[in-house]
Amino acid sequence: MPSPVLSRRLLLRSALGAGAVVGLGPLLAACGDGGSTTALPAGETADLTGATIRAMVNQPHVLAFTELLAPAFEREFGGRLETTAVPYDQLTSQQILDVQGGAGQFDVFDYFYFGLGALVDAGALVDLTDQLAAVDTSDFLRSVYDAYTLLDGRRYGVPFDGDVHVLYYNREVFETYGLEPPRTWDEYDAAARTITERSGGSVYGAVVEGQQVPMILGCSFINRLAGYGGSLLGPDGAPALTSDAAHAALQHLVDVAPYALPTPLQIGFDQANSAFLSGQAAMLDTWTDLGLKAQDPASSQIVDKWGVVPLPVGGSNTEHRTALNAGFGLGVSTAAADPAQAAAFVLWATDRTRNLLLASTAGAGIDPARRSTLESPEYAAATAPATEVIRQALTGSPLVWPKDTDAPRLLQDLVDQLALAISGAQTPQQSLANAQASWERALT
Amino acid sequence: MTATLERPATGAPAARARTRAQRRAGHRVPRWLAIPAVVSLLITGLYPAAAGLALALTDSSLARPLRGFVGFDNFVAAAESVAFGGSLVRSALFAVFATALAVVAGTAGALALQARGGRFGLLGAVLLLPMVTPPVSVGVAWKLLLAPVGGGLTGLWDALGVSGFNPLGSGVGAFATLVVTHAWQWAPLVLLLVYAALLGVPAELWEAAALDGAGWWRTLRSVVAPVVAPTVLAAAVLQLVIAFKVFDLVAVVTAGGPGVSTIVASFEVFRTAFRGSFEVGTAAAETIVLGLLVGVVLGAAGLVTRHTRGDA
Repeated sequence: MPSPVLSRRLLLRSALGAGAVVGLGPLLAACGDGGSTTALPAGETADLTGATIRAMVNQPHVLAFTELLAPAFEREFGGRLETTAVPYDQLTSQQILDVQGGAGQFDVFDYFYFGLGALVDAGALVDLTDQLAAVDTSDFLRSVYDAYTLLDGRRYGVPFDGDVHVLYYNREVFETYGLEPPRTWDEYDAAARTITERSGGSVYGAVVEGQQVPMILGCSFINRLAGYGGSLLGPDGAPALTSDAAHAALQHLVDVAPYALPTPLQIGFDQANSAFLSGQAAMLDTWTDLGLKAQDPASSQIVDKWGVVPLPVGGSNTEHRTALNAGFGLGVSTAAADPAQAAAFVLWATDRTRNLLLASTAGAGIDPARRSTLESPEYAAATAPATEVIRQALTGSPLVWPKDTDAPRLLQDLVDQLALAISGAQTPQQSLANAQASWERALT
Repeated sequence: MTATLERPATGAPAARARTRAQRRAGHRVPRWLAIPAVVSLLITGLYPAAAGLALALTDSSLARPLRGFVGFDNFVAAAESVAFGGSLVRSALFAVFATALAVVAGTAGALALQARGGRFGLLGAVLLLPMVTPPVSVGVAWKLLLAPVGGGLTGLWDALGVSGFNPLGSGVGAFATLVVTHAWQWAPLVLLLVYAALLGVPAELWEAAALDGAGWWRTLRSVVAPVVAPTVLAAAVLQLVIAFKVFDLVAVVTAGGPGVSTIVASFEVFRTAFRGSFEVGTAAAETIVLGLLVGVVLGAAGLVTRHTRGDA
């Protein structure tokens, strides 16, 4: 007699069926629309009156959004800007997950330019090429405009934060020990050694940011690479990580470690800034907005006691060159509630007025992305005495990081190998050879 | 008083069959009642397992999962990666060392509390504080204490004549620091369990041991150990599981450094999937390998536990 309740066989069949459905669910979903990009057609800029914009932003930029852009947005449009800050080492992955995971909680992304390829591959950014064709973009710095926004001939954002590095030094400490600000990496080494040894450890000659993420250790290495006249990729697009310049750059990071703030591989953005601003360290190669903080008595003990020079040169290279270290654009999420409105917000948040306001405000974490900002007296007054050094760096031909789909992985591979050399686990030659092999596998 | 057990008469098959049928009918639970449990298992067990396996066997990135079948390529990629092989060894070492330290410290603490007499009390509650503190907070606190410049312990190092001591500055030092910190946080769990087990040692046994002139060690070995050994072993297995899962502490205190010296397997899976490379397929393969390793270690621990319980 058949059982009045579910039979064991029926139950097993149902379980297997359900298992197959849930197991195949992601597969079917992935076969659907994963990774497709959408383009916003050219047209009138959308009305922002009363709009609500949800933005996922880089954590160091949070003040720019919450304290500067949000009040201005409310005053001008009666709109509301909701900001979610994400740590810099998780920014790109969180943006991909927001779209791919189906949450779609954001309209605007504050994105790393070297994550641009990964974001576009994930279908996370709206193609703004046609929209931007109708907008005057001539004021954006040539050095950052294409680098931050252009991928395979299409444009996916607008430059927001023109990040380059310069070398800050503690003028008072340098005067105490009779030192001149360094022009070369050798002079930098000598100054670091002198200060650390002669101060008895009360002041460290330098801060080397070595936290094992591309945005930190990658910057420290690439600053030296550019200074020694090298680059990440050769003219043919092949990796150039075993060049003489690359070896010199990594060897420099290894050699300076004993005279730098302990322990370089643990030093990130916040620790480095704190050590320099408190007077514990005498040199720091970092982003240009540090000057604003250094002049702010609320965050600095070295007001009027610091100076700034271009990044040093080394080896046979005599031309100062900086790199586009990090750097951010604002883009529109493909999950935006109203992409046209989000695009209008992006254009508003990156316009001349906003870029000048953000770049001239201490703590905003934003550097110039427009020529008009670099040339404005207000910006010069806010950033003196660093203004001219910043101008040289941003109007030159900075080294651009790769930004294709594999770029985040390649850069992580590189910093993993750099860290192994700095920690002494393997030689600089071995580290660079390993990184070169990894890049060649991916790029050729 | 004598109880009488009534048995059904033997040699009456019809009556016996009827009794069995009645018993079966009386104890019958409709199978549909199992549906919530089965659905729950499908959602929490089968789905992640199937999805993980699918990701491990396909070309999957964070941006584009399940692009195509690649066989065991992801496992090969994991084996060839800079950190994964070493991270498995480090995970195993971390689990063994941290478990041993936590079990020894927790058991010693429980014995000390028990010897002190009285109730668990305020002291016991204070000792449990590290366990109820979120690992991230524990990590932040220890990172601030151990910071090489301006850290909370800088004065202590100076007083001890080891100015500039920086345990996080070398690979071995950083790994040992993580082991000690983890054991410091989780030893209270062992303490709690063993203390509870100690309360189960009959008072007569303590008295008998004292009357027989047994010393502290003899009492511990012959009276206490047989009672609390199963609990200590269970606590050790629990500690092994917790130690294999360590992630927050590594992420906050060392972020895997210096170099790759404190990258444990769970942190490497995170790095592979979400930090830099976004290789979700490789991360899934790494997760499967880690799961197998944890299974082998816990299986061995289970055998030891069973063997010991058999002896006891």
